[in-house]
Amino acid sequence: MYQLTAVTKRYVKNGSTVTAVADLSLTVRQGEWLAVQGRTGHGKSTLLNLLGGLDRPTTGRVVFGGKDLAGLPESQVTRLRATSIGFIFQTFNLVPTMSAAENVEAALIPLGVSASGRRRMVAAALESVALSDRARHLPGELSGGQQQRVAIARALVKEPQVLLADEPTGNLDTDTRDDIINLLERLWRERGLTMILVTHDTAIARRAQRVGVMSAGQISIGPLSAA
Amino acid sequence: MFFLTYLRRELRRRMRQSIFIALGLALGIGLVVTVTAASAGVKKAQADILRTLYGIGTDVTITGKPPAFKRPGHGGGGISIQAGPGGVTLCQNNKCGKAAGQTINSLSSDGYAPIGQSKVAQVAKLRGVKAAAGGLVLRDTQFTFPKSFGKPGGSGPSNIQPPASFTVDGVDVTHLSLGPLNAGTLTAGRMLTAADANANAAVIDSGYARSHKLAVGSTLKVAGTSFTVVGIVAQPQGASPAEVYIPLARAQALGTAGGKHLAGEVNAIYVTAASAADIPAVQREVQRLLPGDTVTTAASLASQVTGSVTDAATLANKLGKWLSVLVLIAAFAVACLLTLAAVARRVREFGTLKALGWRSRRITAQVMGESVVIGIIGGAAGVALGLAGAAIINRVAPTLTATVPSTTGPRIFTGGGPGAGPVAFGPSGGRLLGQAASHPLAVPMSASVTLGAIIAAVVLALAGGLLAGSFGSWRIARLRPADALAKVA
Repeated sequence: MYQLTAVTKRYVKNGSTVTAVADLSLTVRQGEWLAVQGRTGHGKSTLLNLLGGLDRPTTGRVVFGGKDLAGLPESQVTRLRATSIGFIFQTFNLVPTMSAAENVEAALIPLGVSASGRRRMVAAALESVALSDRARHLPGELSGGQQQRVAIARALVKEPQVLLADEPTGNLDTDTRDDIINLLERLWRERGLTMILVTHDTAIARRAQRVGVMSAGQISIGPLSAA
Repeated sequence: MFFLTYLRRELRRRMRQSIFIALGLALGIGLVVTVTAASAGVKKAQADILRTLYGIGTDVTITGKPPAFKRPGHGGGGISIQAGPGGVTLCQNNKCGKAAGQTINSLSSDGYAPIGQSKVAQVAKLRGVKAAAGGLVLRDTQFTFPKSFGKPGGSGPSNIQPPASFTVDGVDVTHLSLGPLNAGTLTAGRMLTAADANANAAVIDSGYARSHKLAVGSTLKVAGTSFTVVGIVAQPQGASPAEVYIPLARAQALGTAGGKHLAGEVNAIYVTAASAADIPAVQREVQRLLPGDTVTTAASLASQVTGSVTDAATLANKLGKWLSVLVLIAAFAVACLLTLAAVARRVREFGTLKALGWRSRRITAQVMGESVVIGIIGGAAGVALGLAGAAIINRVAPTLTATVPSTTGPRIFTGGGPGAGPVAFGPSGGRLLGQAASHPLAVPMSASVTLGAIIAAVVLALAGGLLAGSFGSWRIARLRPADALAKVA
């Protein structure tokens, strides 16, 4: 699914050059669950941004589904994100003025799905995360766990090939964290997703098939486990 | 539908800010509408003044230049009074005698030099001229000297009372659609007709009729000749009408200029152009044909009008316009800055939408839509404010004054006391004594909101919304999703 070759990402911050990712090479197979750990500031989120086409490498190639994201025009990268890549964020990133259903529906707008089709898909997505009864609630009326469920529904409503999750349980309590991870795992298995999950939590990382540790912009990948 | 839902929700979330931006736009647009309405009202007042002064249907007026003053006895003709050791001598049309007990009865063209009536036909044939008619602007003056005038112990030049006079217009009865009489409304009797061309028939002004207790059928004397009043006409407010209108042929027979009769002469020619666009060319052609005479249009008369109507026009056109522009610029600037600030606050939201696959132009369209809606709300409120402003002006209706300089009227030239030198009462020249040099007019100010002003308001509202939205769009276009999402961390 992913083939990263000698990827380096540098950016200028406060007048000095920071190397977030340094000559990183990585292969992620289709259907694989890869957890990425590492301390803050060692390039985990930058790696996720490169994988999701939200940023471009300074040097190197990021090949997704046979296409080098670094070489594609922005419009095509945006199209790939719309159809094939789902994102989950630590702070949920729901639009505060939209209801749970409308937040999920927002992911279908770029695909040109009809209104009735969107309604049907949104209902199915919310049911898969057990939030059908909260469809009309605004994010402010939902708990943290419920908001993250809405975010998961939004990420998966378009049936992507890849799910990129950046600290999905970082803002949740222990019980809710477990619920969310259990949900993600179930959906990963049911849908044959390729899931790359960034986490500080070793217990969560161990549930993945492989664990990579980012350090100073480079990644060291552990053996594939029977997750 | 999703677009409208998102738009509506977002405006509701930022309601205070949206109202603030809309109010700012409303103030600017309301000011533009009110100033435009006031300006239209002042222009209308000016046009009303000019129309009544100038006459409806008259585009160009030609008048003979005021003749140079010649002292009586030096070919000047007219009427003069000379005080000398032998007493006071009155000369009328080069006939002299003792002034005491004598009566002056003069119908004279003492403001304008005569123009040959053949010139009227020549003017009518000029290119761009639709019609031309001649007229005479005269003044009838009557004065009787006391029998003791000029005798020791009797009255003298220093205590001459102003003579009784009234203005008389000789009108071409075959072209009544041209000239000052056309602006009037008949209130009694009938207008002069072609059949009256050589009759002693007169139409009088309603104000003159009231003050002199005249009615249809009354008789009045013009240059000592009895005329029958056949009609009474009311001129529009602000006009300076003649008091009596008689057929041109009769005015030519009775009037004088410089001691000479006015047969075959006029001293004013009224011209209608084929179209408004022809007026400047007609004015030039007439000036070429009659180089010694004064050629005026409504525009040139407008430049002589002074008073608060002119001040109001200046205020509306200059100060009002620039104030509106400044307020609008400020409103637009505030709208742009607040929209930029709102976009900055929503960076994470837009970064997320980009991560979901939304293209920049879709997000831009959302922001533009929000700004345009605020602009439309501001525009609607601005039109309402403008209408309210115009309504207030119409309710208060401040009176505007206009002053138009006048060149007619008798001019009395006195040296004071026996032996002090000649006293001349000539056709022109000399100083004015106790005679108003201008016509003050009063016109109520109004304000009218035109369809053009409302359309301009809508355009400004949309422009304000689009401008503010484009600032936000520029910010979104530069937004890198990774940077936007990094703001979360």
